[in-house]
Amino acid sequence: MERELVRKFKDGKLVKVKIVMEGGVIKDARITGDFFAHPEEGIEIIEKELIGKDLCNARQAVESAIGGITLIGLRAEDLIAMVQECLDRDR
Amino acid sequence: MKKLRVIGFEFGDAPFNMALDEAIMRSVGAGKSPPTLRLYGWDPPAVSIGYFQEIREEVDLEFCHEKGIQVVRRLSGGGAVLHTPKELTYSFSVEANDPSVPQDIQGSYLKICAPIISALREIGIPASFRPVNDIEVGKRKISGSAQTRRFGAVLQHGTILLGMDYSLLPALRARAEKLTEKGAKDIAGRITTVAETLGKEVGHVEFSRILVRKFEDHFGAVADFSDLSEDECIAPTLEERYRSIDWTFRR
Repeated sequence: MERELVRKFKDGKLVKVKIVMEGGVIKDARITGDFFAHPEEGIEIIEKELIGKDLCNARQAVESAIGGITLIGLRAEDLIAMVQECLDRDR
Repeated sequence: MKKLRVIGFEFGDAPFNMALDEAIMRSVGAGKSPPTLRLYGWDPPAVSIGYFQEIREEVDLEFCHEKGIQVVRRLSGGGAVLHTPKELTYSFSVEANDPSVPQDIQGSYLKICAPIISALREIGIPASFRPVNDIEVGKRKISGSAQTRRFGAVLQHGTILLGMDYSLLPALRARAEKLTEKGAKDIAGRITTVAETLGKEVGHVEFSRILVRKFEDHFGAVADFSDLSEDECIAPTLEERYRSIDWTFRR
């Protein structure tokens, strides 16, 4: 099952979260858009961390992985909320 | 900063341009090259997309194919940009701990954009900085920049619209929800160029000269026009990556 959420933030940045669920766990996660993240690999780490997680422990995986990233164009809490909302749609 | 190496204006194609920025950044980050300002142009025209962007959402690939527009994914984040041969592009690389560039990202954008603003003002364009990373005239964007910090270096590269070939703008798939906020109907209405603002053309080399002088002033450095190091000639191998489907379509 695939869920997608697109949101535009106040300085015009567009962020899309796409999550593929299979059998109650995350099979694939993609965070795309025109934001900046330093270091860039931080976003790929979040995506990897999400894989294999279920609805209960996904948020925590994002929260712990996001700590070391400086985001420009969206706030960490916005991204966490987007992942959560995307997952909630799946329930 | 004592010395600023300058790689003088040259046209290149999109994968070459991005590969050379990366090669310079790696060499500067490894302490093998001094701080470097590179000036370049895009021929053929190209669309560059940000590191995190989904290519099919941002680019009209069919239109690009028809018009001979290359598509390349940048190492830096940010949005999709149409680069036509009338644009002047800069890249600026310094070591990550260089005291002349602030550690905080917003501050560093401002610091590196300041000489560009000075150069535009010198030719009579009332340009000003718009956070996070744009330079505007009135409400219209004339220059946009993107930054990446890797390999022990800070790389900031960006556009300076000396001119623009508006007929190629359909290469970008503009999203309605993004444009309404800034109060303009389409992308063309949100940007302006040196040629439009002044009513005359300013050449790549002419503006590059002014820009180099402003970078010298702002960074208290002396420009040193020199060649690439042997190290930076790894660009051809990097170029292959920027030409590859894997890299370009990775998102």
